[in-house]
Amino acid sequence: MNSARVLYHMVRADFLERVRRYSFLVTLAFAIYIGYAAYSGIIVVRLGEYRGIYNSAWLGSLMGLVGSMFLSLVGFYIVKNSIQRDRDTRVGSVLAATPMTKAFYSLAKTTSNFVVLASMVGVMAAAALVMQFLGAEDPHIQLWALLSPLLCVALPAMAFTSALAVFFETVPLLRSGVGNVIYFFVWTALLVAPGTQTFDKKKNEPVPAIAYLADFSGIVSTLGQMQTAVHSIDPESGNSASLTIGDTQGPPLKRFVWTGLEWTPALIFGRIVWTSSAIFFALIASFFFHRFDPARVGGPGASKAPPVAAPELDTQQPLIAVAQTSAASLLPLTATSRTNPFFRLVGAELRLMLKGNRWWWYLVAAGLSIACLFAPLDAARGGVLIAAWLWPILVWSPMGSREARHSTESLIFSSAHTLSRQFPAVWCAGVLVAVLTGGGVGLRLLFAGAGHSLAAWLAAALFIPSLALALGIWSGSSKAFEAIYTVWWYVGPAHHTPGLDFMGTTPASSSPATYAVAAAVLVGASYWRRRSRLGYA
Amino acid sequence: MQLAIENVSKRYGTGNWALRNFRLRSGPGVLGLLGPNGAGKTTLMSILATITRATEGRVMWNDSDLASHPDALRSTLGYLPQDFGVYPNLNALEFLEYLAAVKGLDAALSRRRIDELLNLVNLSDVRKRPLGSYSGGMKQRVGIAQALLNDPQLLVVDEPTAGLDPEERVRFRNLLSELSGERIVILSTHIVSDVEATATDIALISQGSLVAHSSPEALLRKVEGKVWEWVLPSAELNAARQRYLISNTSRRSDGVHARVLDDSPPSGAQAVTANLEDAYLYCLSRHRAGVSA
Repeated sequence: MNSARVLYHMVRADFLERVRRYSFLVTLAFAIYIGYAAYSGIIVVRLGEYRGIYNSAWLGSLMGLVGSMFLSLVGFYIVKNSIQRDRDTRVGSVLAATPMTKAFYSLAKTTSNFVVLASMVGVMAAAALVMQFLGAEDPHIQLWALLSPLLCVALPAMAFTSALAVFFETVPLLRSGVGNVIYFFVWTALLVAPGTQTFDKKKNEPVPAIAYLADFSGIVSTLGQMQTAVHSIDPESGNSASLTIGDTQGPPLKRFVWTGLEWTPALIFGRIVWTSSAIFFALIASFFFHRFDPARVGGPGASKAPPVAAPELDTQQPLIAVAQTSAASLLPLTATSRTNPFFRLVGAELRLMLKGNRWWWYLVAAGLSIACLFAPLDAARGGVLIAAWLWPILVWSPMGSREARHSTESLIFSSAHTLSRQFPAVWCAGVLVAVLTGGGVGLRLLFAGAGHSLAAWLAAALFIPSLALALGIWSGSSKAFEAIYTVWWYVGPAHHTPGLDFMGTTPASSSPATYAVAAAVLVGASYWRRRSRLGYA
Repeated sequence: MQLAIENVSKRYGTGNWALRNFRLRSGPGVLGLLGPNGAGKTTLMSILATITRATEGRVMWNDSDLASHPDALRSTLGYLPQDFGVYPNLNALEFLEYLAAVKGLDAALSRRRIDELLNLVNLSDVRKRPLGSYSGGMKQRVGIAQALLNDPQLLVVDEPTAGLDPEERVRFRNLLSELSGERIVILSTHIVSDVEATATDIALISQGSLVAHSSPEALLRKVEGKVWEWVLPSAELNAARQRYLISNTSRRSDGVHARVLDDSPPSGAQAVTANLEDAYLYCLSRHRAGVSA
C-alpha cells in the first residue's frame, strides 16, 4: 500500500471518528455562529467610517479574517486530541506496531486536524454565500473573490494551527492542561507579531511586505489593502482599521466597494511561509513522538514512579494461605460505623484535586496567597488576586470530568448518595481551593467593611469552581475550562473589563450579583447533567 | 436477604435489546452468571450495580424496588466492573481511603479494613506506590479490595479474573467462596472453570435471555448420558464437527479424541462423565436451536 493511500485512510478514519461524535455538531454550530456574528454586526471590520458593501469580495475577506483569527484559537482546542484519542482507544499501539514512521504519523495527524478545521472553513464559505444573498447589496456572486481569502488566508492559518496542535500533543509539558493555557498566549503573540500598523498613510500603501511574513492570521495584509482602497476614494479618511467583537458603535455609516485582495508576491509568499511552517512543526513534533511507548508517555496522570513488580506469591504454601488475612477475618462493618461523611469527603476530594502537584506549585500558590494578605489592598485585588486565581486553573479544570477521564464512574456512581454527597463535595473542594489561594483578599475586604467588593470576591470564589464543574461535566474533559477560563481571565479580570471581570478586580468592573447568579445556574446545570448520567438518581 | 430480577429488559437507544424479560431470584451464595460474549451479562451487572436503568421490569432488593430506593442497595453493594480505572497519582491506600469516603464509611474503621483488604489482595508491600505504576493484574486486585470496602451484602463482580495470573485467579476463586456465606455474590464470566470452582447456583444467559438457572449438579444432570469420547482419524474431524457438537479435542497417537455432546453416541464412541463446560455448551446450543434447556 503506497504512502498516499495510507495517509488517505488515516485521515479518513480520523475524520469519520470525529464527525460521528455529537461534539462535531457543536463545532459546526460554532462555525455557523461565527458567520452569523459577522453578518449581524457582532463581529465588525471597521475602516474608520467605512465598511465594504456586502459583495463576494468583502464577505470572503471578512470570513477569511474571522476564520483565521478565531478558528485558530477555538479550532486548536477542538483538534488537540487526535493523538490522545489514539492513546485512549489503544489504536495507537496497533499503529506503532506497523512500519509507519514517526514523521509520517505526525504529518498524517496534522492533515487530519487540518481536514476538520478546513471543514469548518467550508461551513463559513457557505455562510458567506448566504450572507451575500441576505445582505442584498450586490447580488453578483464572484466565486474567486469569495473563496480566495478563505483558501489563501484562512487555510494556511488552519494548517499552522493543525501542526501546532500535534506539536503540543507530542511535547510532554504542552500535552497537559499547561499547554492549553500556554496556547492562548502563543495565539495572542501570533496575532500581534506583525504589529498593529496595517497602513502607511503618508505613502498611501500597506505596511512593508516584510510584515506579511509575520502575519499569521492575514489581518495586516487584508486590512492594509482595504485601507489603501478606502484612502484612494477618501484621502481624508482616518488611519484606523479594526476587527472587533461586540462592537457597540453600530455599523459604519459609509460604504465602499471592495474588489478583493491583490495577490502580491509578498502576500502569496507570506501564506506559503505559514503553510510550510505547518509542515516544519509537524516534522519537529515527530521528534517528540515516541510511538505510544508507555514508558515515555509523560504528561498528567503519568506516574513518575517505575513500574511496580507484582508481589511474589509463596508457592510453597497453599494458595489461600498466602495472604495474612482471610476473608473470614475481615473487620465487619456494622450499621453503627456509618457517620456523617460529608466533611470527610470534601477533604478527600480536596486531596484528590491537589495530589500530583509538585512542591514548586505549592510554593507559588503559598507566595500568591501571602501576597494577597500583605500587598496594598488595591494591588492585591487588582493584580495579585488575578494571578492567584489563574494559578490553580489545572486544579479546577478536572472537576466534573475526573471520573470520565480516569474511568472511575462505575466505582463512584454505584456508591450511595453520589448526587447528594459526592457532587456537592467536589464543588465545595473547588471553592476551598479558591478560598485558600485568594482568601487573603477576601479577609481584608471583610475587615475593611467593603461590602460590595467582598460580595464580588465571594461571587468569584463561587463562580470559578462552578464554571469548572459545569464545563467538566458537560464536556467530559478538562480542556473546555482550561481554554475558556484562560481567555475569559485575559479579556475580563486581566483587563478589568466591565461585565466580563468575574473577579471584580476593580469597583468599576465588578458585577457580583451577575456572577453569583451565574454560579447558581452553573451548579444547577451541572447537577442536572450529573443526575441524568446516573442510572438511578 | 434476597435479590429478585423481575422481567428486566434493557434497550440501548432505539437499537437492539441487550436483555429481554430476564427473571431470576437469588439468595446467599455465589451465583455464577455464565454466557458468551455479548450475551448481556455486563448490561445485567450494570443494572444490578445501579449504573444503568432497566428499560422494562424491576429489580427488588430485600423487597425494596431499586428504581425507588437505589441507595438502599448501594449502601450494601460491592461492585467490581469489567472495565474500571484508578487515579494514577494516588497510591492504593489513598485510593481506597477516597472510595471509603465516597461510600460514607467511618474513617477509623475503614482505615483498619483497608489495611486488612490490602493484606488480603497481597498489595500491602506496594500500598504507598502510585497506582499509575501498577500492572493490570495489580489494579484488578485494587478493584477487588474496593468492592469489599463496605462489607457488602451484595457483591457484583463482572469478569473479575480477567488480567489475573493463574495463581491469583485461584486465590480469587477461593476468596469468593469464603465470602459467600452471608451474602449474595454474583459472578459474571464466560470462563466456565471460574464458575465451576465457586458457584452454588448457575444462571446461563444467551442473547439477552435466561437460558437456565439451577444448581451445578442439576445442570450437570441435563447432560448426563449425552457426552461421548470419540476417537477418529484427524482427516475426519472437520466432517464430524459439521455433524456433532464437539466441546473439546485432543490429538493422540491413535487419532483425535473428540468430546461429543449428543443425545445418541457416534459409532464406536464411549460414554464419559459430563463436566460443567459440556453442560454449558449443550444448553447454549439447545437454546440457539430454539429448544428449551
